[in-house]
Order: sequence, then C-alpha cells, then structure tokens
Amino acid sequence: MRRQMLISLLIVALLVAALGSVSAQEPIKVGLILPSSGNDLAWSQSMYEGLLAVQEAMGGESALQITYIEGMFDVTAATEAMRDFGDEGYDLVIAHGAQYGTSLFELAPEYPETSFAWGTASDTGADRGITNVFAYGARAQEGGYVNGVMAGLLTKSNIIGIVGPVPAGDAILYNNGFVQGVNASNPDAEVLITYTGSFGDTAAAASAAQAHIAAGADILTGSAQQVPGAVEAIQSAKGYWFATDTNQAEVWPDTVVAAQVYNWQPVIQAMLDARASGVKGGIAFQPTLGDGALQMAFNEALEGVPAEVFEAGRAAMARIMAKEVYPLGTLPEEQFRIAIVMPSSITDLAWSQAIFSALLELQQQLGGPEKLEIAYTEGMFDVTAAAQALRDYAEDGYDLVIAHGTQYGTSLFELAQDYPETAFAWGTASETAENIFAYEANAEQGGYVNGVMAGLLTKSNVIGIVGPVPAGDALLYINGFQQGIKASNPDAEILLTYTGSFSDTAAAAEAAQTQIAAGADVLSGSAQQVIGAIEAIQAAGGYWFGTQSDQSGAWPQTVVASQVFNWTPVLGRMVELVATGVYGGEAYSLTFANGGLKIVYGGVDIPAEVIDAANAAIEAIKSGEIVVLQQLPE
Amino acid sequence: MTDIVGVISEIVRLTLLFATPFLFASLGEVFAQRSGVLNLGVEGIMLMGAFFAIFVVSDKGLALSPWAGVLAALIVGGLMGLAMAFVSVTLQAQQGISGIGFTLFGQGMSSLLFKVLAGGVITVRGFQPITFPVLSGLPFFGTALFQHNILVYIAFALVPISVWVLNRTSFGLQVRAVGQNPAAADSVGVSVARVRYITVTLGGMMAGLAGASLSIAITNVFQENMTAGAGFIAVALVYFGAWSPWRVMGGALLFSAASILQNFVQIFNSLRGVTINIPPNLLIMVPYVLIIVVLIFARERKRVEPAALTKPFEREEG
Repeated sequence: MRRQMLISLLIVALLVAALGSVSAQEPIKVGLILPSSGNDLAWSQSMYEGLLAVQEAMGGESALQITYIEGMFDVTAATEAMRDFGDEGYDLVIAHGAQYGTSLFELAPEYPETSFAWGTASDTGADRGITNVFAYGARAQEGGYVNGVMAGLLTKSNIIGIVGPVPAGDAILYNNGFVQGVNASNPDAEVLITYTGSFGDTAAAASAAQAHIAAGADILTGSAQQVPGAVEAIQSAKGYWFATDTNQAEVWPDTVVAAQVYNWQPVIQAMLDARASGVKGGIAFQPTLGDGALQMAFNEALEGVPAEVFEAGRAAMARIMAKEVYPLGTLPEEQFRIAIVMPSSITDLAWSQAIFSALLELQQQLGGPEKLEIAYTEGMFDVTAAAQALRDYAEDGYDLVIAHGTQYGTSLFELAQDYPETAFAWGTASETAENIFAYEANAEQGGYVNGVMAGLLTKSNVIGIVGPVPAGDALLYINGFQQGIKASNPDAEILLTYTGSFSDTAAAAEAAQTQIAAGADVLSGSAQQVIGAIEAIQAAGGYWFGTQSDQSGAWPQTVVASQVFNWTPVLGRMVELVATGVYGGEAYSLTFANGGLKIVYGGVDIPAEVIDAANAAIEAIKSGEIVVLQQLPE
Repeated sequence: MTDIVGVISEIVRLTLLFATPFLFASLGEVFAQRSGVLNLGVEGIMLMGAFFAIFVVSDKGLALSPWAGVLAALIVGGLMGLAMAFVSVTLQAQQGISGIGFTLFGQGMSSLLFKVLAGGVITVRGFQPITFPVLSGLPFFGTALFQHNILVYIAFALVPISVWVLNRTSFGLQVRAVGQNPAAADSVGVSVARVRYITVTLGGMMAGLAGASLSIAITNVFQENMTAGAGFIAVALVYFGAWSPWRVMGGALLFSAASILQNFVQIFNSLRGVTINIPPNLLIMVPYVLIIVVLIFARERKRVEPAALTKPFEREEG
C-alpha cells in the first residue's frame, strides 16, 4: 500500500513538474500604448511594426503576445491602461510617447516584476532608485541632416518648407537636423518652418503646406501622422517630399525622395534580452543613424532626382556614421557667439587653421553669421595679452570663449571663476571645470600612420623630423611618427631636431636642410613653422608628411599625406551643450575611431601597397589592435 | 516671397479654399439651429462623410468619380442627421449630450472602417481646380478666385441660396417659426417634428459634404480623426454669425484667413535674417482666440438666438 501511494505521489509530483515547465513556456506578454494609430505612417506605426517584427523573429504569438492600445492622446486613460497591464502581469509595457513619462515613473515601483519602457526619453529613473524602466529615443536629427543635405541640392527655388506638429520632442530634433543639412549643402536656401500645433490635424498640415508652396517652396518635409495632408499638397504642386519615421515612399512613390526610417525591433529585442538575463530596466537606448534602429531609405527609382543627390545623401550618412559630422539636436534660440584666441594665424596651415576652418564649417551648418558669430584674435604668442583678450571676450558676453593653446590654461581657470555664465574651452588639455570644456587631438595616431608610410617610402633609409618644442600636440605627433617608422621599417634612421619655436620658418628650413644634407629624403614636422621645411624638402625632391591641417595645397607633389584634425563635431557638441545650459565639464579627444582624425592625401603618386599599409594601420588603431604610445619609453 | 502681390493672391485663394468645409457644415447647422435643434454631432458626421467620400473615390475602395464620393457623403451624412433627429426630436433627448454622442460615434466608426476597409492612409485624385478661360489667367484675381475646385464655388453659392430659402420661402418661414415659437407654429398647423427632421437631416448632409470637401477636394487623403475639431468650429461659427448665412460666411472667412495668415507669419518668422521670434504656439492659438473674443463681444447674439434652441417640443394635447 505504502509503496503504491509513494509511486502515485511520485507520478503526481512529476505531472505537476511537467505542467510547471509547460507554464514556464508561456508567451512573453508585451503591452503597447500608442498615442496615435498603428497605421499612422509615422511615430506609432514605427513602433508597432518593430514589435511585430520581434514577434515574427521569436516565432509568433506562442512566443510573444502583443496587446496594443492605440489613439491614447489622453494621458489619464493611458495611465489606466498601463496599470491594467501591470495588474495582469505583463512582462514589458511600452508607453510610446514622452507625455506618458510622469505616470510611468509613478507606476513602475508598484509593479517591480514588469519592465516599463518609454520614449522619446533618456531618463530611466536609475538616479531615483527605479530599476525597471527602460528609455529610448532616436537621434532623429541625424536622418534629418541627411534629408536636409539632399533637399538643399534638389531645390530649384531655394525655398524648402517644414510642416511640423509642435516644436518639441522627436519633431524638433528632426527639424533641427534637417535645417543643418540644408545649410551644409546649400547655404543660400531658405528653410521655412511652420507648426500646426497638432499631431493629427491633416487639414492643418495641408494648409501649412499650401502656404509654404505659395511662398515658393518646391520641397517639403515634416513629421507626425498629420503629414499625409502635406505630402498630397506638395505632390499636386509637383514638388518633392522628405519623410521621417516610416518609409512614406510606399504610399507616395512619385514624391518621396528619401525617408528616415525607425526600426525599433533591435531596441525591443535588446530590452527582452536584458530581461532574460535578469535586468528589468535602467538602460537608455539611443539609436544612431545606420546602427539598425535608425536607417535611411532612398527612393532611387524616383524620376527627376539626379544621382548626385542620392550620392550626397549617402555621403552625408557615411560622414555622420563616421562621426565626422555632428548634427546638433538642440539649436541655440538666439545668435550664438563664439570667441577664440589662437597662438598663430588662421592661415598657418597647422594648429590654428585647423580649428578656425572647423568653426567656419560649423557656422555654415548652423546657418551663417546670423546664427553663429565668430570673433577671433590670432597670433597671441604672449600669454598675458591672450589672458586679457579672453577676459575682454567674456566681458563682452560671448557664449563660448575658446583658448586654443595649452599655455593659456592657468589664466583661463582664474578667469572662468569670474564668469560662471560663460562657457570656456581649451586645448590641448583634458582638465575641465564647471564651465570649462577641454579638448585634445590624439595626434600620435595619425603620426603613426604617417610614419608607417614614411618608412615604406624612404629610399635612403633616413627620415627627418622638424619639431618646434618637445611638448603638447607636437610631441604626441612626433612620438607617434617614430613608432610608425619603426613598425614598417625598423632599419630606418630617424633624425630629430627641435627649433625651439613654433613660428621660426627660417629655423625650420635650416633644420630641414641639415637633415637633407645628412641623407634624409622624407621629412615631417609640426607647427606653423613647417612651411620652411616643406620648401626645403621640395627643392631636394623628397617627400613631406603633414599634420594638423591639409598641407598639400601649395606643395601637391611633395606632401604625401597630412593628418587632419576635424574639430567640427567637438565644437558642435559644445554649442549644443551650452544651448541646453551646460557650460563645461566634458573633455574631448580626436581619434580615428571617433572621426576626429583623418588622413588626407596630396598629389603624390605613391604605390598602392603604401596606402594599403596606411589603411591597415588606421583600422588597427580604430579597433585597438595597435595602441600608439603618447610617450616613448626611455 | 519677393512677389508680394502673388503672396496676397495666394492668401486669398487659400482662405477661400480652407473656408469651404466650415461653410458647408455651418450652413447646415444654421438650418438645424434656426429650427431649434443644436447638433453637436457635426464633427462625427464630417468624419464619416470624409471617410465614405474618399473610400468611394479611392482605388482601394470603389474607384468611382468624385461626384459619387459627394453622393456617398450626402447619404451617410443624411442618415446620421436623420438618426440625430430621431434622438433629439422624437425621443427628445438632451441635444448637447446626444450630439457629443454622435461625434464620438463618428470618430470611432470612421476610424474602425478606415482600419478594416482601408488598412492605411488612402490618397485619391479628387476634385481638381477648374481653369476658366481668360479669368484664370488674370493677374491676382486669377489665382485668388478662379482656380478653385467646384466644391468651393458650390459652398459659396449656397450662402445666398440659404438666405433665400430661409427668408423668402414658406419652408424657411416654417423653419424660423419652429425655432422661435414651436407652439405657435404648431397651432397654425405646421408639424414641428417634420420641419426639424428635415433641417437636422439637411444639416447632416451638409456636414457629410463638409467632410467630403476635406477628404476629396482639399487634402485628397484620409487619416484618422482628420477633422481635428473642425466640426466644433463650424458650430461655433453659427453662434459667431448670429444664425445669418452671410455672417456665418464672414466668420468662416475670418477664421480661415486667420489660420492661413498665422502660417505665413510663421513662414516669415523663419526667413533668414528675420529675428522676430514669435513662439509658434502663440500664433496657432490666434484663430481660436479670435472666435472666442468675437463670441464674447457679440452682444446682439441673445436677441437673435432662436428662442426654442435646444428645447425639445412637446405638443400640448387638447
């Protein structure tokens, strides 16, 4: 009897366990709250489709169960829906709108087993001890920039209109990026912006679009589910439309040129993966262009759009992905004023020119001198005079005052305390303060790449370096250059001379000629003095490698390659932060990986294997496979 | 933006174009209110009209001519008007509440049908602008007045027609009588219920037509809740216009002009080198604020308001 009972108990236990394991395979339940409808061709549709894609990838409804509530303009009703999802034990509740944030943070602690997600947002509440909230928000300004670049090239009337819903959230990011793109490709074009004050008022969007067309616009863009009214209007006017959120070319193939497309699938998948590994929240997802969640769709079948326009769009996208361009999400409301004090002249082909040309590029991107004023003082060798100039600029109320030299640091830190409402920046440096940004270039990286090429190109096996003083940016470059030579040609002899000056062209020429006399056929060097050395090596028929700026202009047959500093993204980032009320505290460095450094070739005909070696070195530096030392071992 | 005359002619053109749906809906509402029925269901009826019109015209639907779309909108609008008449006249329900009920019904139903029947945004080639010989080529007036689609002309033609019907026909007299003093009208043998059924149904048809003008003449698309409150503005314009078709037309033009103008102010604001910075939210409010302000100051409104407005009529037996 006993044994029988024991066996039947065992069977029951096994059954229960089996049932338990079945119930453990219950589908993951996702609740989705959408502000508009799931087929709005815009914001809500992008999320709904992303979720459907996740469901399909996971194996259908048996694996992932989706419950969605659309048209939730009413935040109170949305809160109720979130609570219902929580009560019913949903695994993930996605509230697809920034407006739901407040109630989401109130609810989340009550349902610790449920993960909540919201966007457009970056706040996960982690600083307030909330652990089950994800945030997500796309960098919509990036696709906006690409669209803008194309629109700027395509417009014939030089007037482009934006039909926006409200000046906030995702829409303002997109609009800001679009305006910068147009500025970058066509500074003469006017971008007209109207807001309808609504997300869903199709007729208002149509009337705004008609007003733009009446004002001369031949290209329009805009966001939110209201846009069909505007697309129809520009279609009747035989103009073009640039889309965002979803690929609207599917509905208007004859009008939509390109679309920034949100694909939330990887973001949702990442949230579910995090949950599977026990992480219920705390991650802010910020998809950037080209990383899967944020893509461009180019409607190349569209007649009448030149191929160059699409090429420019692709190139802009590639530059953004390489971080060579930084579209600002927040633009200053009023004219932004930058003042800079530089040690040498803005045409020095080196340190000062590099940042000044970046400032000019940013000025164009932001819309010209009316949007970004640049004041500069060049040739400030004298640190005391520089300190006075910096103080004058701060006193004049400039928004961002840049001290473009390590030597200005001491006085800058004193000055910054007196002007807490002014943002300051300095470099080469890494030390920041509340209202001081710092920046530097990892010049050793490009030095290394130049060195690799120099080692391969030398015939005499003697390479000369003309340096100013063994410090700062110049020293980094020179150290990197030597490591590069050793990597590609360990037998080469390296001659190193410091002139003791940044600007003494004659001294540089003298140093160069000495090195040439000693057998050098390839030279490099740093600072604005180098023009003397380049002249000397040109006369001797040798090669030169440059740094800081592209130096090939005047000597195309002598300068093989230059490491070029691209300060534009760093400057853009600082302007964006100041516009949002952050005056300092960040330090930046230019590297190959972040798009700040670039090798630009001159007109010298060099063997392909040399360029291959340079490219391999760049890739190895990017991936971290090669670490170029800033200081050479003693 | 250099050709100022061109821009002004465009402003006039767009003002007339975007006044059209308000005109249709408001004129219909004038009849309903003059007979004593406040129909707040206009918004919902417009949505239904907009959807049915575009569905009939669209390739995704029946692919018929725009006129068939107008017919569909008139039928759907008329049916909803009839239902509203049944609720407010026969069942004597509180008119404000039942009207809002019809609006909610129209919003939900049009969204549902849109989803089930269309599945996504529908676009059509609706009524196109008409070109008149000579006239359309005139400077200024050509653009402003003679390049409109047929519904715009119909809407404006309906204004004098409505005035004539209301003031010069026996039906118009009956409508006014029923709205002012239903008991007296009833005592001389006018059927209050019959008149109100007719006006509310007519109002529904006009609201349906208003919706059609939005979807198949002005925007040529349908999107959920695309009227976005236009139906309520139409009702407000009836009060604004003190139940006179001419004044209602003035109100529709004023509101439309204000909306178009604020768009142009926003455009002007964003021109390079223009540093005036008026927040767009402020500009967007202007047309609405204008309506409210005029309503507040329109003192004579009480004097001309149909005395029996919103009051169900119950026949006293004996």
